[in-house]
Amino acid sequence: MRNSTLFLLVDDDADDIIVFKEVLRDVNPSIQLIEAGDGLEALEILRSRHDNLPDIIFLDLNMPRMQGKECLVEIKKDPHLQHIPVIIYTTSSLSRDIEDSMLKGAVCFITKPSSLKELRHIVSSISQNVHGDLGRCLRVLSNTSTTFIVC
Amino acid sequence: MILIVDDKKENLFSLKTLLQLNLYDVDMAMSGEEALKKILKNEYELIILDVQMPGMDGYEVAENITGYSKTKDIPIIFLSAVNIDKRFIAKGYSSGGVDYLTKPFDPELLLLKIKTFTRLYKQTKELNDIKSNLEHKVEARTTELIEANKELEKSNAELQQYAFIASHDLQEPLRKIITFSQIVKERFSIGAESTQYVNRIIVSAERMRTLINDLLSYSKLAATPEFLNMPLSLIIQETITDLELIIKETNAEVIIGQLPAAEIIPDQMRQVFQNLISNAIKFSKKDNPPQIKIWSDFTKERSVEARPDLNGSYCRIYLSDKGIGFNEQYLDKIFTMFQRLHGRSEYEGTGIGLSIVKKIIEKHNGFVTAKSKEGEGTTFIIVLPLKQTAKPAVALHK
Repeated sequence: MRNSTLFLLVDDDADDIIVFKEVLRDVNPSIQLIEAGDGLEALEILRSRHDNLPDIIFLDLNMPRMQGKECLVEIKKDPHLQHIPVIIYTTSSLSRDIEDSMLKGAVCFITKPSSLKELRHIVSSISQNVHGDLGRCLRVLSNTSTTFIVC
Repeated sequence: MILIVDDKKENLFSLKTLLQLNLYDVDMAMSGEEALKKILKNEYELIILDVQMPGMDGYEVAENITGYSKTKDIPIIFLSAVNIDKRFIAKGYSSGGVDYLTKPFDPELLLLKIKTFTRLYKQTKELNDIKSNLEHKVEARTTELIEANKELEKSNAELQQYAFIASHDLQEPLRKIITFSQIVKERFSIGAESTQYVNRIIVSAERMRTLINDLLSYSKLAATPEFLNMPLSLIIQETITDLELIIKETNAEVIIGQLPAAEIIPDQMRQVFQNLISNAIKFSKKDNPPQIKIWSDFTKERSVEARPDLNGSYCRIYLSDKGIGFNEQYLDKIFTMFQRLHGRSEYEGTGIGLSIVKKIIEKHNGFVTAKSKEGEGTTFIIVLPLKQTAKPAVALHK
């Protein structure tokens, strides 16, 4: 039984991890963040934690060693991990990436915004609804944000 | 080489002598059948044909000659007895020229005719050679053009891909500059002056982002167009909806008159009106809410001056504002990329907007111009063909 909310951020870009951390700390300092630099590392971390699994996984697409899409497939295949909502968090805005991610089981697709305000809004919304109606929250975000697509 | 055909040996030989004395090469045949055999095997510039022969007569021989495409241009001179048969005149034999002489013939006259006809035949042959030569050249050039076109399309596609990748890769560090600058500003107490400078960093970086997006839009314009028949009023309505926020903020008034349907590329046309309307709003007079009017007329010629004509195949779209206007001597400048009439501190902008408009309208086989008076306002005029004949258009079903 875990008390605090946990996010996993999988991204090979150190700058983007810093920004995400900043925003998360700003919006909800009680939420814990663990990081992985690529898909393989993420799977190692996930498989080693038996009862302390993250509530949401933020997944970048273009990474070394294992691409985000492959990692997504592995997570959804694994009976212990497939229940965790995966949110794609990437620089890409290509429709082919969006469709592919949705098909592979991501719950939504975020193109990294350049506006701090927008990122704060997204992270804040999601944090507030982690244990609530995440689906509805994502749908609302999709309507109000240009960089956000819900499944 | 001249071929003489006569069933009487004496005639053949006397004619042969006459011709050879005048330096012509001569061949002989004693019957129509022999003549035809020889004609199929050799090249003759002229045939002198006796009309009255046993077996195949001169007319039959002539008919056969004109029927065969290789020989139809060879001129023929008939030699006949006094009672010339009107038959051959009426039939109008070969395109190589036909003439006749009655026997006994005047040798001088015959030679004159031979000279004329051999010259005619030579010229006809030369003409045909030139023609076939030209046809080959045209074919070769066309193949070259098709190849060059394929190469161009390929390099165009590569350029577009390059533009897309470049813009994407350029946007990334820019995004970080903006984001981290915002973090510095908001998370740390850096004082008023530092905040101002950080703001300038953010503004510059944002401008670069817009510039990269505009350049990417411009590069996309090179792609092959697909025209759809659409009412222009629909396009303008959609543009106005997109600009809703700024229209509300500036209290702008946009009055739209009757507008026709035309074969257009919807996305690109939307861009045109977005650029023109936001320009009109941007360059409005200080403290005066922008007043924009859009109307149209038809005309038969692709011109701004031509008088209106309801049956015209061109439409002219006018977009006027009561803004600050500009001096018409700068008309060319405003449509040129990156040329601005005002400093950046006075009016925001990348300087590409109007050149994108110009490129798009040119793609639609029209043109755009403007009339303006400083201090009074500007009217942009787009001349657009209603139909694009090059490719078939798809009708829009709503």
